[in-house]
Amino acid sequence: MDIAVLDKLRAVVGPANVLSDVDLAPYVVEGRTPEAALFPGSVDEVRAVVEIAAGADVPIVPWGGGTAAAVGTPAPRAGLVLGLRRLAQLLEHEPGDLTATVEAGMTMATLQSALRARGQWLSLDPPDPEQATIGGVIAANASGPRRHLYGTARDLLIGVTVVTGDGVVVRGGGKVVKNVAGYDLPKLFVGSHGTLGVIVSVTVKLRPLPDDERLVAVVFDRSKDAGAAARAVMGSDLIPNALELVDAEASRALGLDSAVGPGGCALIVGFDGVGEQVEWQCGELGRITAPLGGRAVRPLPEEAWTRLASAARDAFDPPAAVMRLIVLPAAVTEAIEHGASAARQRGLRSAWSCHAGVGVITAALASSGALPEPGPIASVLHDWRALARAAGGHATLDWAPLAVKSAVPVWDDAGAAGRIMQRLKASLDPHNVLNPGRFVAGI
Amino acid sequence: MLGRGAVLSDPEELLVYESDGLTLFRALADFVVFPTSAEHVSAIVKLANREGLPFVARGAGTGLSGGCLPAEGGIVISLMRMNRILEIDYENQVAVVEPGLVNLHLSWAVGQRGYYYAPDPSSQQACTIGGNIANNSGGPHTLKYGVTTNHVLGLEVVMPDGDIVWLGGKTRESFGYDLAGVFVGSEGTFGVATKVCVRILKKPQAVKTILAVFERVDQASAAVSAIIARGLVPAAVEMIDQLTIAAVEDAFGCGYPRDAAAALLAELDGLAVGMDAQVARIVEACRDSGAREVRTARDETERQLLWKGRKSAFGAYGRVSPAYMVMDGVIPRTKLPYVLSRVNEIVAGHGLRVGNVFHAGDGNLHPNILYDPRKPGEEARVVEAGAEIMRLCAEVGGSISGEHGIGLEKADFMPFIFSAADLEFMHRLKRAFNPTGRCNPGKIFPTRKSCGEAGPVAYRPHPIEEKGLAQRF
Repeated sequence: MDIAVLDKLRAVVGPANVLSDVDLAPYVVEGRTPEAALFPGSVDEVRAVVEIAAGADVPIVPWGGGTAAAVGTPAPRAGLVLGLRRLAQLLEHEPGDLTATVEAGMTMATLQSALRARGQWLSLDPPDPEQATIGGVIAANASGPRRHLYGTARDLLIGVTVVTGDGVVVRGGGKVVKNVAGYDLPKLFVGSHGTLGVIVSVTVKLRPLPDDERLVAVVFDRSKDAGAAARAVMGSDLIPNALELVDAEASRALGLDSAVGPGGCALIVGFDGVGEQVEWQCGELGRITAPLGGRAVRPLPEEAWTRLASAARDAFDPPAAVMRLIVLPAAVTEAIEHGASAARQRGLRSAWSCHAGVGVITAALASSGALPEPGPIASVLHDWRALARAAGGHATLDWAPLAVKSAVPVWDDAGAAGRIMQRLKASLDPHNVLNPGRFVAGI
Repeated sequence: MLGRGAVLSDPEELLVYESDGLTLFRALADFVVFPTSAEHVSAIVKLANREGLPFVARGAGTGLSGGCLPAEGGIVISLMRMNRILEIDYENQVAVVEPGLVNLHLSWAVGQRGYYYAPDPSSQQACTIGGNIANNSGGPHTLKYGVTTNHVLGLEVVMPDGDIVWLGGKTRESFGYDLAGVFVGSEGTFGVATKVCVRILKKPQAVKTILAVFERVDQASAAVSAIIARGLVPAAVEMIDQLTIAAVEDAFGCGYPRDAAAALLAELDGLAVGMDAQVARIVEACRDSGAREVRTARDETERQLLWKGRKSAFGAYGRVSPAYMVMDGVIPRTKLPYVLSRVNEIVAGHGLRVGNVFHAGDGNLHPNILYDPRKPGEEARVVEAGAEIMRLCAEVGGSISGEHGIGLEKADFMPFIFSAADLEFMHRLKRAFNPTGRCNPGKIFPTRKSCGEAGPVAYRPHPIEEKGLAQRF
């Protein structure tokens, strides 16, 4: 980057808030070192930074906790990391309104503990809550097991303030839980991966903390039976807040590997509510699953919730690749069985976990030796994507080394909708400065 | 193109389509067409583009903001003949329907198997799923279950250039920008939905409905906050004020005490286990807030009667006033006591009366300003009072519409809550979908010049209201 541009940026945020050269190690993504990383301390500074960078044609990479920084097509140019960590205040929390307005850089863990102190929570439980920021979670549309009942960021985000690629502050939605005035801009930013605006603050809907919550596991010898049990739970009167299937490999992360044999599967179910509701539902779960081959209902410790969110990913250290497959809920076990078998045929182990009730599967592939060969890995990933598509769904390559990414597109083909997305990007970020080249349809 | 009997062009027939449920605004189309397929809609839209005609989709016409009016003439595309349920997939809890399907008919179709479609606008006996999508419609039970957008997974859309495109699909998650998410609530300005994938939910095991009666409105407002503070998320919390109670009792006799200043109707649903404990918490919250009487419906008949009082409130205003104008605004729940008293002051200051019946749990107000259109100047005062109420909602951090949409009615109020930059960004979004602006022109954005013939005229009841098919919300 031009020295004069860097100097201008230093003048805006202060030299202490600009990193360059060796200090940039934590911001290296896929071997690319950003041209600088800077940390504005106010919305106005964000605005000024975007204006300067856009004027100098330097791509801007909005950065929260960095947990999803490697998601996406490899960047054509590393650009400027715009970190939001100094914008981390809880701006408003009125418990009686069940809403909160928070700056984008606050971590999920900090936000949740502030809300918990007043008897409430944001019903969004993505992995890595200590690092992931609320702005990043929304930009990456990250979620966790409780989405089964409480939905994802799109269901919880009611207002958003962004700085556009023109350096203009734009607010969408509002601070009230019900609002149809104007277009639903919050939806636009969920999962947009920083390509339409730098999210600087958000307003979210909250829920009261439940009296009681419990996570339990029922182990099956065959994944087919576990899938049937998941469907039986969905068709029952039970109201679980999580409904997960975890195969033998992924169950290691939960300490269930001794119970789940090869080819077996654990059905993991969460319940919340008043105490007697949780108790009754755990009992019912046993009655529903036993005839289908489920063994006894066993409670899991509190920390299993966070491990569950990344169980497949954490099965191998490190994995050779991680893919998310979206299928219809009733098709999950078939997808898992076929996917695991596709990996075995190439001599690779795989780990599978899924949000069974919503049809969102995470699959991780183990590296076969010291140096993973991209060939077989890419072949398996192609197979996985093909089977997701055959089931009416799609797949995203969440993580893989560059060599694999060059053989397997990160994003699925968005078809005609992709062309609308391109028009949208061209209209909203006409100079193409916000995280260019990393998103769907070449955006 | 469409066959016989699918095009209206006779001015007298076109009159039927000159307004929606908000009869203050009227605009006449050049043609009204009745397609039966996405291919039809696409051909109509391409024709409109060739001829340089604007076009707008229309469902049952129960909207309350003039959103489906042909503000600049052109073609009204009625979707009432595209009303089939194409697929019900119970295992995946999703239904694929055409946009002209009446909202309630979906719940009827899946009801026998123990499912329902959650968004329940009061006009649900008449309004269509397509219209619900345009307005992102709500209803009493959105407090717990969310509004239309939370239940739409994907749509087949005829774009403003005539292309047929799927946004999202049957799966619970799509990828790329959430095009289905921004399409819902775009008030027909992004294209015409021709197929819709919606979630269907399991009916809850148990439902309890509670009526709490208050001597003062501020006590009822406080009870709303008290319920929330006790960690409960009821399925619905509705408030009905004295004027409305009296009108309802005169008309239907639903068992509301006529001397009460306000009543709250709260509903809990979910598991049968633990229900009594939660009901007890609501009762306690209401009593602590000063309720004079709290009772729980003993059976389904009593429950239905209580809901009838709520749902027929709008019809009952006919007993106390020749006309009324329904407002729709949202405020933070904690501002209820202040805003309700200010609303009463504002309306009284214009020499008018107001009845309030609304979704208190969401903070979604529906002040209904009563007036007599035959009295000169009264209608103008209603419009002025309405604008002041909207400004008040904006001032306390709220919104100018919770579920009725902006349409023609509130386009000029948009600057109350959005800056010029916000509106410019929205306009850029619109251009990405609708670059020529021919798809439902003149809506949402504050510009008077594009409203054409549309302008305030005297109130008259919507035909479906007269037939008792639906109520205003």
